[in-house]
Amino acid sequence: MPDSIGSEAIICTGLAKTHPGGIEAVAPIDLRLMAGQTTALIGPSGCGKSTLLRLIAGLDQPDAGQVIILGMTPEKARRRAAISVAFQDPSLLPWLTVRGNLGLARRLARQRPDPVRTLRLIELVGLAGFADTRPAALSGGMRQRAAIARALVTQPQVLLLDEPFGAVDELTRRQLARDLPPLWQEAGTTTLLVTHSIAEAVTLSDRIIVLSSRPARIVADIDVPLPRPRPADLAEDAGFRAIAAKALAALSALT
Amino acid sequence: MRQGARVAGGMLGVAILLIGWQMLAQALYQGRLIAGPVGIVEWLGRDPGLALRALARTLGNAAAGFALGNLAAILLAGIAFLWPRLQDLVTGLALVAFCLPLIATGPILRVLMGPGEGPQIVLAALAVQYTTLIPLLTGLRAVPAAWLDLIHSYGRGRWVELAHIRARAALPYLFAGLQIGAPAAVLGAMVGEFTGAERGLGVLTIRYMRDLDVPALWGVALLAAGASLAAYWAIGGLARLVLDTRPPVLLAPPMRQLRTGRVVGGLTLALAVLLLWWGGLWLTGLNPFLAKGPWDVLAALVWAPDATQMRAALFGALRESAGLAVPGYLAGLAAGAGLAILLTLLPGAGPLVMPVAVALRAIPIVTTGPLIVLFLGRGALGTITLVAVMVFFPTLVACLHGLRQAPGHILDLLRVHAAGPLSQMIHVRIPAMLPALFAAARISVPTAILAVTVVEWLATGRGLGSLMALAASTSDFRMLWSAVALITLLAVLCHAVVAGLERRVLARYAPEQLRQ
Ligand SMILES: Nc1ncnc2c1ncn2[C@@H]1O[C@H](COP(=O)(O)OP(=O)(O)OP(=O)(O)O)[C@@H](O)[C@H]1O
Ligand SMILES: [Mg+2]
Repeated sequence: MPDSIGSEAIICTGLAKTHPGGIEAVAPIDLRLMAGQTTALIGPSGCGKSTLLRLIAGLDQPDAGQVIILGMTPEKARRRAAISVAFQDPSLLPWLTVRGNLGLARRLARQRPDPVRTLRLIELVGLAGFADTRPAALSGGMRQRAAIARALVTQPQVLLLDEPFGAVDELTRRQLARDLPPLWQEAGTTTLLVTHSIAEAVTLSDRIIVLSSRPARIVADIDVPLPRPRPADLAEDAGFRAIAAKALAALSALT
Repeated sequence: MRQGARVAGGMLGVAILLIGWQMLAQALYQGRLIAGPVGIVEWLGRDPGLALRALARTLGNAAAGFALGNLAAILLAGIAFLWPRLQDLVTGLALVAFCLPLIATGPILRVLMGPGEGPQIVLAALAVQYTTLIPLLTGLRAVPAAWLDLIHSYGRGRWVELAHIRARAALPYLFAGLQIGAPAAVLGAMVGEFTGAERGLGVLTIRYMRDLDVPALWGVALLAAGASLAAYWAIGGLARLVLDTRPPVLLAPPMRQLRTGRVVGGLTLALAVLLLWWGGLWLTGLNPFLAKGPWDVLAALVWAPDATQMRAALFGALRESAGLAVPGYLAGLAAGAGLAILLTLLPGAGPLVMPVAVALRAIPIVTTGPLIVLFLGRGALGTITLVAVMVFFPTLVACLHGLRQAPGHILDLLRVHAAGPLSQMIHVRIPAMLPALFAAARISVPTAILAVTVVEWLATGRGLGSLMALAASTSDFRMLWSAVALITLLAVLCHAVVAGLERRVLARYAPEQLRQ
């Protein structure tokens, strides 16, 4: 992260979206994310988190406002393979193996095949023996992990993760929470992570943004100044608990 | 293990079939109506060269038509996919071509293309294109939005989408279409041979029919069936090699509501057909005595001096054929759906019957038409039975498949509440079967027409088929062209009626099938 400190990787101004059928998903939102930081997005189910993520990636067009990523429009940033998205639904291609899915991502990003990096990431997400397995033969959590590896394999500058650990078991989740942040730090990746778990938000991120129920509005913006690398028993830490309590209070105030 | 069991079961089935068949042939008719395996082998031994040459000729024509028709289907699917505005028109034209009555189109092609292999190849192509085009289009479109998002998240556009996702996702559908097309091509080629070719299995059929040579007729029917089955299995094997799974057992997904609305869409299609017809004649500059345009047909049916006789002959024959086709069609649908339900209720019967039914679907039943007529006589019963059998197998396969598609979690829910098999059937399985039943009903419209006209042409001497035979032998081209136009129009209309009914029923029982 050294040279990117202080610059803003993602800038949303007045971003708003109403889905067809009149469902107002995102109220005008202003959001600035520092380069190299990890930000967690939490909020009630159906509040518009996935919609916000899609707007930032430029996969949906906003009704109002704009998104600037690394000084570019999302379209341009995508064309430069600066963005990776891991969707809420793993959406692996069923006819490709795990390795093949990762390889395809690199091709789509116009990058050379990188078998070493590919295999390293597959191992990192705990799928060591499954590189040549097709998605149909993987469990739900294994598929999600493969999707995380796919998002990382193109070495994006901006990483958008939509509940990437939803179906992953507690132990693997902890292991990923230990192994992924150093990777992002090393590469200076700007990460935006949607999650339902406050503990996960505090463990992984530098900043937590709490969204209101639909339409999504920012109701709290909480700093997470805990030092890195963060230990496995972070939950015992008083600082951790204070931040978690703040996030919980903000969420509870919604109802 | 399961594969092994299936092969063993299949072999046992074949053995039982062969023995039972020979015994039946002996016992029932002393070989006068049913030829046993022994008689057939004797026939083959008499002149193996003749039979094999005919088989090779028919298969060659079928293969050429198969390639041509499927290439056209792939091309059309590409056009309809790239220019969605054209989709309704393209699929409409393909449907019209699929509804062309082969038995009346054959003689016309014969005079236009001469005595060679042309008509057989064209008829085979016409018979296969539609059942490839429609699944292929579905496959190209039925791609989860999330996969496309993935492509877009790397800033890639439609071409990459097509190359990396849609083309591959459509492959199973393409194979399903090809698989159904293999026997259809054999059928098309043989119908072409019925209507005046010089060589091929169809020609042999007509000859043996005249001589009432029962073992030879059985032999020819078996050769055609065997070749179709072999082609069907070969494509299935290829699909498994390429896809790692078997191709889906699907006929044709429900029609989308036309983008333009039914009236405008119908008028556009009618206009396009007329333009193609008229433009085709104009471009090829064919002899106007042989090649009649839309105007000639209209004149022949409406204001020509002998229009009244024309209409009387044509509509009389039409009424006669419809009187056989409609009951056969309905009986085939009912029997197919009913047996599928029954088999699903019997525990363990489904997995056993499915492969057999799928294989039997691949037999071009029309080629056994003469045999059925031998059995049941030239009266109504024989023809109706043949139509019913033709409609029965595709319906059975589709319905068995549909019944199995019932969502497992809903069935589990019913089981939790201790609902018996019957109530599971009524509340979950039959609604899940409806899309498949309707798909079969739509595709079977031209099938029923083909079956009726072929039997009438070959054997019974009544109805449209016989009228076409007469018109062909007396070079009455006005009659032939009028019949093609009229029957095609009716077939397309019947198809539209079934599709309309389908939309209504699915809107209630399977709304997700209509969204695309
Ligand atoms: N394509 C769409 N068309 C219409 N409405 C939509 C569409 N996508 C989402 N919505 C609606 O927008 C709202 C926000 O949806 P979104 O998927 O962004 O929620 P979310 O915060 O990600 O929820 P969850 O935590 O359950 O994933 C929901 O009410 C949903 O019904
Ligand atoms: Mg979501």
